[in-house]
Amino acid sequence: MTAAPPPGAQHSQLRPALPLLLPAYLWLTLAIFLPLSAMVFFSFMTDLPLADRSWAMTLGNYAAFFETDLYGRLLLRSLRLGLEVTLYCVLIGFPCAYVLAKVLKGRSREAIFLLVILPFWSNGLVRIFSWAIFLRGGGVIDSALNAVLPFEVSVDLMYSYPAVIIGLVHSYLPYMVLTCYLTLQAIDDSLIEAARSLGASRLTVLRRLIVPLAMPGLIAGAVLIFVPVVGSFMEPRILGGRSGTFYGTVIEDQFVAVFNWPLGAALSFILLAVVLAVLALAAPVLRRQT
Amino acid sequence: MRLFPRFLNGAGQLYVGLVLAFLYLPIFIMVLMSFNASPFYQLPIDWSAGWYTALAGNSQLIAATWNSVTIALTTTAIATLLGTAASLALYRYRFRGKKLLQALLFPPIAIPWLITGTAMLIFFFAVGIGRGLHAILLGHVALALPYVIVVVSARLQTFAPELEEAARSLGASQWQVTRRVTLPWIAPGVIAGALFAFAVSFDQFVVSYFLSTPGQTTLPVEIYAAIRKGFTPEINAVSTIIIVLSMTLMLLTARYFRFGGEK
Amino acid sequence: MRKMNLKHIVSAAALAGMVTAGAVQADELHVLNWKGYGTDEAWATAAFEAKTGHKVIHDYFNSEQEMLTKLRTNPGTYDVVMINAAFTGQAIDEALIQPIDVGKISNAAGLAPEMARSELLNAEGAAYGVPWVWGVTSVAVNDKAFDAPPSSVEVMWDAAHKGKVVLRDDALEAVQFAALASGQNINDIKDLDKVRDKLASLMPQIRTFWSSENDWNQMVAAGQIDVGTYWSGSASRAKTSFNLPVTFVIPKEGAIGWLDGLSIPAGAKNAEGAHAFIDFMIAPDFYVEWDQKVGAPVSANLEAVAGLDETAFNRAVLGDPAVAARIQFQKPVSDEDREKYLKLWQELKASSQ
Repeated sequence: MTAAPPPGAQHSQLRPALPLLLPAYLWLTLAIFLPLSAMVFFSFMTDLPLADRSWAMTLGNYAAFFETDLYGRLLLRSLRLGLEVTLYCVLIGFPCAYVLAKVLKGRSREAIFLLVILPFWSNGLVRIFSWAIFLRGGGVIDSALNAVLPFEVSVDLMYSYPAVIIGLVHSYLPYMVLTCYLTLQAIDDSLIEAARSLGASRLTVLRRLIVPLAMPGLIAGAVLIFVPVVGSFMEPRILGGRSGTFYGTVIEDQFVAVFNWPLGAALSFILLAVVLAVLALAAPVLRRQT
Repeated sequence: MRLFPRFLNGAGQLYVGLVLAFLYLPIFIMVLMSFNASPFYQLPIDWSAGWYTALAGNSQLIAATWNSVTIALTTTAIATLLGTAASLALYRYRFRGKKLLQALLFPPIAIPWLITGTAMLIFFFAVGIGRGLHAILLGHVALALPYVIVVVSARLQTFAPELEEAARSLGASQWQVTRRVTLPWIAPGVIAGALFAFAVSFDQFVVSYFLSTPGQTTLPVEIYAAIRKGFTPEINAVSTIIIVLSMTLMLLTARYFRFGGEK
Repeated sequence: MRKMNLKHIVSAAALAGMVTAGAVQADELHVLNWKGYGTDEAWATAAFEAKTGHKVIHDYFNSEQEMLTKLRTNPGTYDVVMINAAFTGQAIDEALIQPIDVGKISNAAGLAPEMARSELLNAEGAAYGVPWVWGVTSVAVNDKAFDAPPSSVEVMWDAAHKGKVVLRDDALEAVQFAALASGQNINDIKDLDKVRDKLASLMPQIRTFWSSENDWNQMVAAGQIDVGTYWSGSASRAKTSFNLPVTFVIPKEGAIGWLDGLSIPAGAKNAEGAHAFIDFMIAPDFYVEWDQKVGAPVSANLEAVAGLDETAFNRAVLGDPAVAARIQFQKPVSDEDREKYLKLWQELKASSQ
């Protein structure tokens, strides 16, 4: 029923696969891989090849990462942010997807499925600024609470780590809800009934049946959340204030504040390598669950 | 028999309601502020429809919005088609280098868009693609593809390959198998992938910012360029109109089409 | 591989640009500037179009580095570019801009001589930039938090305003500001440790780092901040256009001055229109209307400043020789120093959270 490998002979089936693969991967090559290889090349240079500059090949930009603890510290901070945001998205999103897939029936389900993604058709910056209005002192929470409560309170979450978490969880939650829905909805209800009638407790059914079957969706959602959050800089900058410096910030600085593309590119590829390593390390653990 | 007793259904629905409330909270504030006369979102609200009047006279912002809608719809169509095809190939066939192809989906997601955007700007000029709406479309489809492939692949994981085998053994052609057996099963995944592709393109400002030409921009570019001096709630007004229109469209879709995967 | 440098890439791009540029009309004038910075005022572009027949089209940048990148990768696209004078030299060295025929610019006669002749804008006897406006980066306060405006930058370090101070998220500006506060020359910082200590002791005071004029104005409107660094033109806009309680101060320690010039990129397709546009931009008529309607920095054209009310901030305060003597103008900063400052700034931000 689940992720059984598709049947097929041992010999390579590349020939029938190619027509389906080529359009997508050619497009990616032209628009992403080739431009990024230019960046890979830059990351090994001392300076950009401009008319008035001399340059040579070097490993110095990668070495720079290790010369100070600044980059490593910020990368750890960003990884922690990525893990926390992913975790909150799982905790909030999975139950929501479960209700959507298994409790709600009929038209309302289709409607909610669409409504979950709709907020993301508004602009990201506008959403962050709306959060800022909501979270700041003298803002919406404050005004609303003071209108109801008999005593004066002051709530000011703005410019803090929690504000960054709230903003990011909000931005990425739909990925988790929809990807979990996709695999939860595919679970046959009769399977759950069978397990229950054989005496399995609700917790056991959840742990041994539902979560493993929903795992591909959970993983897809987690990847689509964790990977971009680790490199984010916009939400942290606006919502985090003094706590808003992350690894993405120092990469951005190399392009915006100074003209040091080689270092910026090297820092990005270190980020990519670390993210891939984290995913590779997590893969066997997650596979055991399925 | 169900996993949870029936009385918990109400609690479940309430929970989904709360999650939706969380998701719509900033949208609600955005809408409120579009009716606030203060350009700095000052509270209490000074009610006014002035930003809508201002928007009606801002032909540049309206043109940029149309560009965004057109590009996002085109991106969605192309990325969904190519992405679904690639997902099918990655699911159905075995060949060397498959793991590599899957790993290659991560760079576009992991590398910050600022770097990807800069790289595209340099490269597109080097090979003569240049800037403009065509370059934006080229970039957007590429950024949306990994999302479509990851999402559709997740749904494909739940598909029983024996079904394809069975159909094939009954004499169905590969295309018939795909159209009659596989696609209906993965439809919710394709829809979700398309929704993400639209969101990625419609909200993408960094890459568009580097690739747009003066006078031919998209809505997020207009917003991003205004960030230094600050943008006015006209942006809230245009976002409000977009949300209201798409919500109407979506609810109509939900009324007349079934794509949630129900048999 | 060595031969394949960016210059080749750029010339290939220029070639490609020529192929695709067929649609551009000769009477279009492409301007590259910050958004909302004078040149794109609708009333001004309409007046310019009516006067000269050139239709003004804008493109924007969000950082000086990005402006340079846009010039490098889009040869022939722009006709006028606004460049902070501290970066003009780099643009000249990279051959991104061309000499300007000052004879075609009638209003140039009124320019402040020391600015028109500034070594930042001229090279080998040719003018590569026409001084447009100048301003200062200094301290601005929320009037609601002060009975009388402060006279020293030390107000930023005053415990009474803890958590209500803002600083721009910009390494160079932060370092130069701290240099000023520690009594140093902003263009020749001898004691960087002093700068680091000064900034480190400022960190606990900080509420957030601002990055746009809009940030600043929103925070003041919401009463979240008392004092912070700000730009003179923006402070005047906040007061004039938006009636916000903002007062701009030139403290006794001095302030950071900057000069913005207008240049013509190499390969501009409409150089004639570009000269006319620069002439229009430094004219007294445009400037007076800009400052009164919107709020502007100080014009480099003395005749334009003389057209303001005698009490106008840009004439009364910044025109005061005693104040002018306290302003230290930014000179070009080497890549090396820039990276050193960035590193210092990143360390401070990363360890203050």
